[in-house]
Amino acid sequence: MARPSNPAGFATFNFAANTPLLLLLALSIVIGLLMVVVFRYTSDQKAIGRAKDRLKAHLLAVRLFQDQLPVVMRAYGRILRGTGSYLRLAFAPFLIALLPITFLIVHLDRYFGWMPLHPAQTFLIEARVADPATLNDAALQLPPQLSSSAPAVHLPKDNEVVWRVVAEREGRYGVHIAAAGQTVSKQVVVSAGLARISPVRLRGNFWERVFISGEPALADNSPVQSIAIGYPPRVIAFAGMEWNWIVLFFVVSLIAGFIFKSVLGIQV
Amino acid sequence: MVCAATALLISCQPRRWQGDQKIIILGIDGMDPQLLKTFMVEGKMPNFSALAQKGSFRLLTTSIPPQSPVAWSNLITGMNAGGHGIFDFIHRDPKTLQPYFSASRVEPPKHGIHLGNWVIPIGGGSAEQLRQGKAFWETLDDYGVPNMIFRMPSNFPPVKSKGYTLSGMGTPDLRGSYGTFSFYTDDPMTAAGAVEGGQIIPVQVEESQVTAKLIGPDNTFRKGSPPALEPFTVSIDPLEAVAKVTVQDQKFVLREGEWSDWIHIQFQLIPSMGSVKGICRFYLKQVHPRFELYVSPINIDPAHPALPISTPKSYSRELSEEVGEFYTQGISEDTKALSAGVLDDKEYLEQARTVLAEHRQIFDVELPKFHSGVFFFYFSSLDLNSHMFWRLIDPQHPEYDAALAARYGSVLREFYQQIDQVLGEVLQRMDDRSTLLVLSDHGFAPYNRSFNLNTWLLNNGYIILKSEPNLNQNQAFADVDWSRTRAYGLGLNGLYLNLRGREREGIVEAGTASDSLLNEIKEKLLGVRDPQNNQAAITRVDRATEVYQGPYAQQGPDLLVGYNRGYRAGWQTILGNFPADVFEKNTNPWSGDHCMDYTLVPGVLLSNRAIDTPNPALTDIAPTIFAQFGIPQPGGMMGHSVFSPNR
Repeated sequence: MARPSNPAGFATFNFAANTPLLLLLALSIVIGLLMVVVFRYTSDQKAIGRAKDRLKAHLLAVRLFQDQLPVVMRAYGRILRGTGSYLRLAFAPFLIALLPITFLIVHLDRYFGWMPLHPAQTFLIEARVADPATLNDAALQLPPQLSSSAPAVHLPKDNEVVWRVVAEREGRYGVHIAAAGQTVSKQVVVSAGLARISPVRLRGNFWERVFISGEPALADNSPVQSIAIGYPPRVIAFAGMEWNWIVLFFVVSLIAGFIFKSVLGIQV
Repeated sequence: MVCAATALLISCQPRRWQGDQKIIILGIDGMDPQLLKTFMVEGKMPNFSALAQKGSFRLLTTSIPPQSPVAWSNLITGMNAGGHGIFDFIHRDPKTLQPYFSASRVEPPKHGIHLGNWVIPIGGGSAEQLRQGKAFWETLDDYGVPNMIFRMPSNFPPVKSKGYTLSGMGTPDLRGSYGTFSFYTDDPMTAAGAVEGGQIIPVQVEESQVTAKLIGPDNTFRKGSPPALEPFTVSIDPLEAVAKVTVQDQKFVLREGEWSDWIHIQFQLIPSMGSVKGICRFYLKQVHPRFELYVSPINIDPAHPALPISTPKSYSRELSEEVGEFYTQGISEDTKALSAGVLDDKEYLEQARTVLAEHRQIFDVELPKFHSGVFFFYFSSLDLNSHMFWRLIDPQHPEYDAALAARYGSVLREFYQQIDQVLGEVLQRMDDRSTLLVLSDHGFAPYNRSFNLNTWLLNNGYIILKSEPNLNQNQAFADVDWSRTRAYGLGLNGLYLNLRGREREGIVEAGTASDSLLNEIKEKLLGVRDPQNNQAAITRVDRATEVYQGPYAQQGPDLLVGYNRGYRAGWQTILGNFPADVFEKNTNPWSGDHCMDYTLVPGVLLSNRAIDTPNPALTDIAPTIFAQFGIPQPGGMMGHSVFSPNR
């Protein structure tokens, strides 16, 4: 063919462009492995084995004694009880794994949840102010590598000012917003690679800051309640589909976990 | 026996071409020989001048009628309309006499199970290409000749191909139309409702905010198939001419007079279960004192095509990953928005320049990937911009405006020069294995006056109405008394007899009666004079039986009306309506045209090789390609190679 044909798609696989995918797959597999290992050492493997054996026996009874309704009903009752026992045994290890996994996801989301801006890409800086009276006074101060490409849009209904900005070249920049005699700042990341990103800086809102922000809180007396940067959300293409990274992470780590459990002989 | 069987097997296999020869074809819709020569003489087209000097420059006989879907189908198949079945932009169903677009048809599922307000479709919808005949690249595939065919008209959905193809003119927008823009305004003086090629939608500005809905494709999962709608919000700065637009999870700021990038829209058909994706561009025309926002037709998203637009299917996604989003709609330049006054000349021109820039970007990315075989690339810009800006290069045109001409009179030259730059890129890549063909499907002419064929037929007693003509009637042939009507016009050049056995209520007998009626109408049409200047409005009328050959020759019009330079069928008559006057001044920005006497608007053919045929035609191009690769010319093709076999 005139255009290079490449059924396997391997020769032209762009490793640089697919760094997030490769990293995510590697992390998912490693975490799948770690999960089953943690499960192994935090669970009563013998008890789980027994619970599963009993469940199998009751399931077998259902199949073997299909024509004896009382036996089948008793077997179903035992399956229910057995399932409860199994879940009880699995619950503690699951809880132990849940906390670090949540912590890990929150931190990975800083890298995989959003894409950094690239040079020449326009983006929005949205600042929400506490006092509507300060709306018209809010001013954006940019480093020389960033420039505003439109007048600010003042939105009294939302107590919000929006600026359209474009970056000349890659880098981590601080943008400043002056309002009511104070100046607050927000980090902007312009990069072609994988970078730690905080899409918003917030005043208060502890849990929101934990899960989304990744930057120190704005001062309690700050006239600005939040500053958001319009980073594009990251979509990861894999197996002919577009994935949210968390969904892909769970799918791959679960598959990896099941494979490692079989290989290592761990009861899950 | 074994040897004989092997020999038979080998002889039945298509020949596998193994060479490094290449043909590059630039298909430039509407490049006019007169304008080209003028710009060459002015020194504005150095690459065209060089090519004409070193190679050949001929007029290229266009199709009958000289309309793009017909002309490109001639090129694609090497046959005329009798062989490929495309006779006009618009065809009619003889049983219902309703018009439809000739090149393709997109239809929803025919049956469904109704559950309350929901419909579960049985079977899928369909996108059907109506052009018949084998495309030249299908034959190239048979012989293993690599090919890349970009934006070929009359190729939607694209025919199966082993090469890389992208569909062109005839590709609909996401709503299934040839392009429907939306215009949102709070101006009470602007009439709301449908206009040709668009929709005017009234909105309210409340607390500096406008909330409106984007109109998507018909939702066939809902009872009555209402259009899928997606809300968006425009938040306006109270003082500055700037606004923030929020649509789905995307936010962007536009200044007054600014275009957005491509915006991705997902139309939900079944909540959380079924959706289609499209792309569109916003243009903030005015913020204060009136709010005016134009939204382009929702194009099929090349990254997630809802309908097939490329071969292989994944190719449009790969291309969009490489060059970004691009117009997938066949006729990308929004001429309807300019005609409707929604965009002005400057705004339309910006949009048209973007279209050409996108085409050039795709061209620049794909040309270097071509190493052997056939590479075809289609450019629409000269055609559509000649349609819209002819009035500014022709002081005789009724819409000529000296002030506008001073600003935009050089626009056509600029577009021609851009095509010259494209040719320059190709010339740099030429080697002794390369054959270059630069061609246009037709030329161009002014469109000063409309001729309303159906009104003329009515006035001459060939059409009889049941009541007085209703000028506001949009239904084709409303109130026509078919039991007494003998002929009717439909499409840009077509005239049909109301033939017994073909039309639903046909009254004209085939044979002597139809022959004499056709001769009578032909003679009368050739005698029509424009009362304004006593010029002949029609210079040529062809009988279909004399100009068409092939299996579909009977399906087209019976007469092909060839208008004089300066004349064309009026907008209403082509859809079966009856304006009051036979002749009308053309006041539409659509001011140049080519749907006329085909001998008046030939195209161009340039090559780096000597063209031996004195009068080459579009139907010669496919045979020329086959001859270059030693492929036997398939039966049914009319033309011959334009090159001598000895060269």
